[in-house]
Amino acid sequence: MLHDLIPNEIALADALVPGLLLVFFGSLLALWAVDTLVGRFGLYRFVWHPPLFRLALFVCMFGAAGLLLFP
Amino acid sequence: MSPADTSTTAAARWPWLPAFLSEERIAWVFVAKTVLAMYVTCWLAMLFQLEQPATAMITVAIVMHPQSGMVLAKSFYRALGTFAGSLFGLVLMSLFPQQRELFLLSLSLWVAACAGGATLYRNFAAYGFVLAGYTAAIVTLPAVSNPLNVFDSAVMRVSEVMLGIIVSGVVSDVILPERLRPLLRRSAREHFAHFIDFARGSTGGTIPRSEMEKAHLRFVRAAVQLEDLRSSVIFEDPEARARSSRMRLLNQRYMSASTSFQSAHHLINRLQRGGRGNVAAALIALYAPIGEALSPDPVQQQDPAVLAPRLQACEDVLPPLAARLRAELRADAWLEFDTGAGLLRRFCSEMRDFTALEASLREGKLKGSVEIVRFSRGNDVLGASVSVLRTFLTMSVLSVFWLSSGWSYGSSAMLLATIFSGLFAASAFPMLAVTNTLAGYVAGMVGGYFVTFYALPGGDGFAMLVVATLPFLLIGPYLTTRNHTLPGVGAGYTLGYVYILALKNPMVYDPTRFLNDAIAQVVGIGMTAVFFVFVPAVTGSPWQRRRQLAQLRRQVVLAANAPLPGLLYSFESVNRDLVQQVVTYTRPDTDESRSLLAWALSVHECGRAVIELRQDIARSGMPLSVIGPVQDAVHAIGALYAQPRAECWRRADTAVARAIDITTDHLAQSPSTCQAALTHLYLLRSALRDDESAMAPYIQAGQGTESPHAA
Repeated sequence: MLHDLIPNEIALADALVPGLLLVFFGSLLALWAVDTLVGRFGLYRFVWHPPLFRLALFVCMFGAAGLLLFP
Repeated sequence: MSPADTSTTAAARWPWLPAFLSEERIAWVFVAKTVLAMYVTCWLAMLFQLEQPATAMITVAIVMHPQSGMVLAKSFYRALGTFAGSLFGLVLMSLFPQQRELFLLSLSLWVAACAGGATLYRNFAAYGFVLAGYTAAIVTLPAVSNPLNVFDSAVMRVSEVMLGIIVSGVVSDVILPERLRPLLRRSAREHFAHFIDFARGSTGGTIPRSEMEKAHLRFVRAAVQLEDLRSSVIFEDPEARARSSRMRLLNQRYMSASTSFQSAHHLINRLQRGGRGNVAAALIALYAPIGEALSPDPVQQQDPAVLAPRLQACEDVLPPLAARLRAELRADAWLEFDTGAGLLRRFCSEMRDFTALEASLREGKLKGSVEIVRFSRGNDVLGASVSVLRTFLTMSVLSVFWLSSGWSYGSSAMLLATIFSGLFAASAFPMLAVTNTLAGYVAGMVGGYFVTFYALPGGDGFAMLVVATLPFLLIGPYLTTRNHTLPGVGAGYTLGYVYILALKNPMVYDPTRFLNDAIAQVVGIGMTAVFFVFVPAVTGSPWQRRRQLAQLRRQVVLAANAPLPGLLYSFESVNRDLVQQVVTYTRPDTDESRSLLAWALSVHECGRAVIELRQDIARSGMPLSVIGPVQDAVHAIGALYAQPRAECWRRADTAVARAIDITTDHLAQSPSTCQAALTHLYLLRSALRDDESAMAPYIQAGQGTESPHAA
């Protein structure tokens, strides 16, 4: 299953880090990629409140990834 | 009466009222956002059972700024600094768990090095360095007597700071955001319009030197300001980030165009002063088509999409016109005319590039990729090392005092000293900043005392906590919005208040600890002030200004010797950055400021000419026997700017004259390359002999000793 991909806790140099943290950073990276693409074509102009939209997008991505990996 | 009526009558009766109200509105929106972010952070920190919600709240207090782009940029660097600092703290603690002396020594060194980094960098990158320094202290100092705790302490610290950063980023970006991008766009358009108007308005040919100096200052400010804004806006707006490399390139083109423009006008001025009025008139006639290209219908005069094709067309008009004007002149004036014509052609093509890029940016469609350029800064390593020394002294003296006295609150004092010696390392008036902050800090602690021991104990639950702490908390952010009149007081107040409250769940009420901690913190800030007296700040001091001026002159040495690729870009941007730094602390209309401006203009002109000359050499086709003397001339110019003396001036003048002679001899052999080199050499000679420029004292001295019989 998907949640076997990332264990709940990951050892980084013997320090246990929650797996969700990695998902968080992964989502940030994904948001950055989406931002780059959207910024290139200026698509945020069609959105009423771009920062709110960005935040919502991030919450959706993080939530979806988190729920998929840690059901 | 309708609302509109009230406002107009109010405006008539109290003309200052609308401005005051809009300013207050911005201030209170900021206060509300800050306070909201702080309480949300506090609540979340308590929910997640973090050790010190106060740290997270302080992060919010420090990061918040009226403009959301600034908050995001600051947060980004704060996050980087926090990670670096915690990591270093962990390493340090694991290296010296039992040796306090060694541990404190290395910690002092680290903090000092970070303070040095903070003075070297501009903007929020500097702030990241400060953070990396004091986070190491924050992580390790509380755990110094119990090294096993350091890992937990680091994790807590990072979590608290990250929580604060995330909350303040979200709040400032989502709730009533005050965008930075409109400001960037507005100032970019203003600078563009000003530059175009100035270029158009100077069609008459001569611009008085004072006017030129003023314009130069404005161009310099514009270039630096645009770069500063750009580096913050990219965090706020993905669209701006996608355009970031274009904006850099635009700035670069702006700088090159303004340099060419100034060189051309200096040359025309010199020709007129030197009795070569006919050549100057020919050049002014050659300038006319550019002026015309820049003057479409008044409504379109600042529209780059209209200007770019007109300039393009103008480029084709210039060469035949130049040939015609040249034919009317006597042969001995050809060199002078060719030099000016070359500059004007270069100016025209740079203007075309500049306006075309501006047009494509305004159009909003990004096509293809652009050349990547960097805006380089001029940094003074020796200046930074002074703040390294100061921070090291502060830290090590406090460490020694702490170790030898066994003061149980020594770590509090050290912590505050670390924070403030880092924060004020790059400040221009650190004593004023420290005193203001200290005053604010003490006021905040007094407020904190009343709240902790009178208001808080009676309450129960988070809502009561908010009610009890809010009235005194509001003061801090509000004072922060008055930063131009009371710099540092607001920040000091908020820090002092939140630190001393030390909100925890459950709350601890211990007057002894409270007072001891308060005393220790004040001592810490006081020590910072004391060391600023012992090792004064470098920023803005005459010593640093002298060094920066020398560095500005060294730019020409660099232009003469550094490897060519990318040199033009770094030359233009470092020049502007240096001039901007020196100008900030120079009083206008003094001898000092005049000398600075004279040198700035001269460095600009000669440096650019030297780089062009070196590019001519690098281009194939120049005869070998010409390359040698031209190289000599380039080096002689470099030597003159390295050590401006009459003797060096004479040597440079001779070398340039010799290079001109030899190049003229070889003109027939390879006309294209030699012609270009010849005009650049002539430009150099005319700049060297300009008796209104920074070269004036050396010319007189040089002529006085060289040939008394010739006079």
